Parts: sequence; C-alpha cells; structure tokens
Amino acid sequence: MLDIERLSAGYGMVPVLHEVTLRVKPGEFAAIVGPNGAGKTTLFKTVSGIVRPTAGSIRFEGRDLLAVAPAARAHLGIAHIPEGRQIFPSLTVLENLQMGAYTEAGRRAWKENLEKIHTWFPVLAERAKARAGALSGGQQQMLAIARGLASSPKLLMLDEPSMGLAPVAADEIFERIVSIHESSGLTVLLVEQRVAEALHFADRGYVLEAGRVVLEGSHDELKSNDRIRQAYLGM
Amino acid sequence: MMLGDWRRCWKGKRSDERAQSTYLTASLSPREGGEGERSKARAAHLLRSGEKAGDEVIAVSQFVENFLQALVAGLLTGAIYGLMCVGLSVIFGVMRVINFAHGDFMMLGMYVAYYAFGVLGIHAVFGSTLGPYVAALIAGPVIFLAGILVHWLLIGKVTGMRSSALRSEGHYAQLILTLGLALILQNGGLYLFGSTPVSISTPLASNAWALGPMYRDRIEVFVNQGQTVAAFIAVVVVLAFVMVMNRSRLGKSLRAAADNPEAATYMGIDVTQSHRLAFGFGVAITAIGGGLLASGTSFQPYVGLEYVIVMYAGVVLGGLGSVSGAFLGGLTIGLVQQMSTLFLPNQLQNTAIFVVFLFIVLLRPQGLFGTALRGT
Repeated sequence: MLDIERLSAGYGMVPVLHEVTLRVKPGEFAAIVGPNGAGKTTLFKTVSGIVRPTAGSIRFEGRDLLAVAPAARAHLGIAHIPEGRQIFPSLTVLENLQMGAYTEAGRRAWKENLEKIHTWFPVLAERAKARAGALSGGQQQMLAIARGLASSPKLLMLDEPSMGLAPVAADEIFERIVSIHESSGLTVLLVEQRVAEALHFADRGYVLEAGRVVLEGSHDELKSNDRIRQAYLGM
Repeated sequence: MMLGDWRRCWKGKRSDERAQSTYLTASLSPREGGEGERSKARAAHLLRSGEKAGDEVIAVSQFVENFLQALVAGLLTGAIYGLMCVGLSVIFGVMRVINFAHGDFMMLGMYVAYYAFGVLGIHAVFGSTLGPYVAALIAGPVIFLAGILVHWLLIGKVTGMRSSALRSEGHYAQLILTLGLALILQNGGLYLFGSTPVSISTPLASNAWALGPMYRDRIEVFVNQGQTVAAFIAVVVVLAFVMVMNRSRLGKSLRAAADNPEAATYMGIDVTQSHRLAFGFGVAITAIGGGLLASGTSFQPYVGLEYVIVMYAGVVLGGLGSVSGAFLGGLTIGLVQQMSTLFLPNQLQNTAIFVVFLFIVLLRPQGLFGTALRGT
C-alpha cells in the first residue's frame, strides 16, 4: 500500500533521512521505532508533503505521491495524526471531526464514521460542543485519532500517540488503536517510542536510527532479535 | 421619558447659526447635517420652556443632549468601523499577515462604489436614495476579486506554508510587500482618480430623524438617516459573515487553517487557497465599509491612511484574530471618537482613540474581548 524507496529528506541544509526504504502492506499494522531524533516524524512529514524529499520515491497504492500536492494527499486516503496532537483548539470537538471529514470519502461516510468514533471514544460524544483546546491531553489525543478516522482513510499514520500522556492515558490510547485496527482492518503505520508495546502489536517493525533503517522484520523476527532485546526491550 | 414623533428635518441655514452652536462639537465632522436643526430646536426649546428655566438646568440638559447625540453618532460610525475592522481581522486571523495596504483596499472600495454609482448607472437604475448602498455592496465582490488576484500574484508568494517553514526569518517580506502595495495603490489611485476629493451624494446623508423632543422639550436627538441605513447594512454584513465563518464548511476550514495550517493540510485543506479566500473576504468586507462611508464623506486616494489607523486600533482593542471582537473593537473606537468630542476639540478625536487604545493595551493586552493570544 505504501512503498517508500531510498528516500532522503531534510530541513534546508540539514539532512535527516538517508535512503530509507519501507513497505506497508494493506491491512498491516506496521511500527517504526527508534530513539529521539532518528527522523521518524520527518519521515511522516515527507509522506504528507510538509517536508520535500531530496531523493527517492514514495508510492501510495502504486501512485507517485510526490507528484500529488500535500493537501491532496489526504483525499487519497492517508490520515496523518501528527506528533503532539495538533488539534484545532478554537474549534469545537465536533467541528474538529468535521474537518477530519473534509475529504470526499469522509463526507460520504460521515454518519457511520461519527457513530463508530463515538463508540470508540464516548468522551468525544459527551464533549462534542466543547472547545477542543479545553480537553485534557488524553482526550485531545483521542480527538486527534478520531479526526483522522473521520476521513475514512485507507492508511492511518500515527506519530507518537502516547507522547506527553500519563501512563494510564497512554495505555488507553494504545488499546484503542489496537482494537480499531482489529475491528476495522485499517492499515496502520505507527511511530512510537514505547518500543515494547509497539512491537508487541505490530505485524512488521522497522528500527530507525540516525535517519537510516538499521533493522526490519516481522513481529517474531524483531522480538527474538538480540539487538532489539538489549537496546530497546531491556532484556 | 417619552419619544416624540419621528419627523423629517432638512439641513437648516447652517452658516448663520454656526456661530452660536459652539456646543455642537458632538456632531460628526464629515456629516454636519443636523447641526442647524439642533440650534433651531434649541432656540425653540428656550422659547417653549421660557426664560424662567435656570441656566444650570439648561446646561445640564444641553450636556445630556450632546451626550446622547454623541452616543448615537458613535454607534452609527462605530458600526461601519466595526465592519472594516472585521475585514482586517479576518486577514490577520487566518494568515497572520499585517496588511498595511488594508486602508487602501478600503479606498478602492470607495472609488468602486463611486464609479458604480455615477458611471456604471447604479444611480440611474436604483435612484439616489437606494443607489449608494447598492454601489457600496457592489464594491464587495469587485474588491474580493482584486484581493484574490493580489494574493495570487504577490502576497501568496511570501506567506502561508512556504513562509511558516521559515518562521525564524520573520515576516519582513510580508511587511515590506504590503507596505509597497499601499504606496502603489495610493499613488496609482492618485494617477487614476485624481486628487480632487469626491463623494457620493445621497439625500439621506443630509436628512435626520428627530428623537424627541423629550424631557419637557429640552432634549432632542437627531439621527442621521444615511448613517443609520449604512450602520444597518454594516451589521447585516457582519452577521452574515459570522454565520459563514461559524456554520459553513468553508468558514470552518478557514478557522482550521488559522488554528494550525500544518494540521489543516493533513485534513486535506489547501491552506494557500484558504489564505487567498481569507484575503479576498477581508479586503471585500472592508471595501463594503468604505463604500458605505463614501456616501457621507468626501474622499481622495490617500483616505486609506486615516482609516487604517482606526482599523488597527479597533482590531487590537477587540483582540487580534477574533471576528466578533473586531466588530466590537471598531464599535468602541467609533464611540470613543464621538464621545471625545464632548470634552475635546474635534481635531483631537484620534488622539482620544489612541489614549484609550494605549490604556487598554497596557491593562488588557489580549484586547477587550479577546482571550490570551495563542502562541502559533
């Protein structure tokens, strides 16, 4: 579904990604793990078109994504849930979801999506008319995910959904993501620093260090890899 | 208090009576209709109430009358200032661009209304009573297109997502561009329209409704008809725009783009497009405000300079980036300007605005009606 081929990117003169190659198959739960500053967020921003690559290619369902304008990429079915939530604070919770449903597909399936969202995140139904900026951090993260789901995406890209949350809230978010993936069969690409949890649920994992993919493999391969066990799982 | 019958008053023989109407500073400088009647009415009051009434009573009722007159004038001009402020605040709110050329788009709106009224035949079709307001509304779509064009050719090159990546470099390019644009519009206007002040003449501008006489015939307040209609249109335009911003998909997407352009892009919102529309709406709304002013005041291509200051004061007063706040800010500016004439000479109207402005910026930097500014 998403094919990233030898992708290099950076900010101005500072290169961040070096020839990253990565594949996500339809229906898969893929995880990218790695330390701070490894380029995980940059990778996502390049897929969304906020950062321009210097080399390489990105294909989505066989289509050259780099030829598609950034704002048009959401309409192809890519939902990017950015790091730090980035909800629209002055809009209400419901209006945030409506903006999520800005895509044609999202508008068509608005009612069913909203129903599903409200079953997954009941708090968003309760607080539908509240300003999104008034929500707690965990609720804002739920809203950010729900806003992405409202677009009826084919691919859900989650950038560190547990960042800045209390452990309990982070666990809750994590469980929700897994259950959404299992119940809807949605393709998920997750960037996470909580390596153990991420690899536990992922079908496939990539380890990104200093802008390079240093390790990749299936769930079992990575879990049994000595380097992963030592560096990330503390075993 | 009783409200007297509303009756029509015509401009009196002002020149004779001006000398004795020194207390009449409350009336609007550009629209002096009403001064004459008021002196005349005053004379009538004095006769009616007889010479028995004490000087103090007369002084008090004079002050009350002037106060009410200034209040009315302030609300009416304030509504139009409010409309113009809304236009400016949309641009700032969505694009985070300080548009120095905003007053000059207002000037263009005035000239569009002027030429639409006279040359394009609005006068012939709608007459001189309705015509000026139709012409003012026509300025909206015309300047909207001009704004879209200017954003497409110039402003879009230095604003939006392109510049947000380079935020550390500051907004110098935008500032210099809009400042340059202001100079081009002013001098281009001078070249095209000439320096002779013009105005749209409408009978309503020199007609007033009289409220009163009330309080034993001592108080009578005049409400300029032209200004009242203009204020009414201004309020309707603001309300319509607020509805668009709050209810429609387009309005919500503009607010989303204002809140967080990057996240808006992730939603599939074309932020450059949003900025272009916001710029178009912003200048169009202010142009309608200019068009409404054009039938009560004379103007020339430099008129924007006088008003851009008033607009900025109103927008900052109301709280940057808030549409309803900007309207209330503009309304406040109108009130302060008119009320100040009760105590200060006419020439110091704008000084009063800035004194109040400074106090509010010192005591409530987020604006009268704003919440604390978001750090975007």
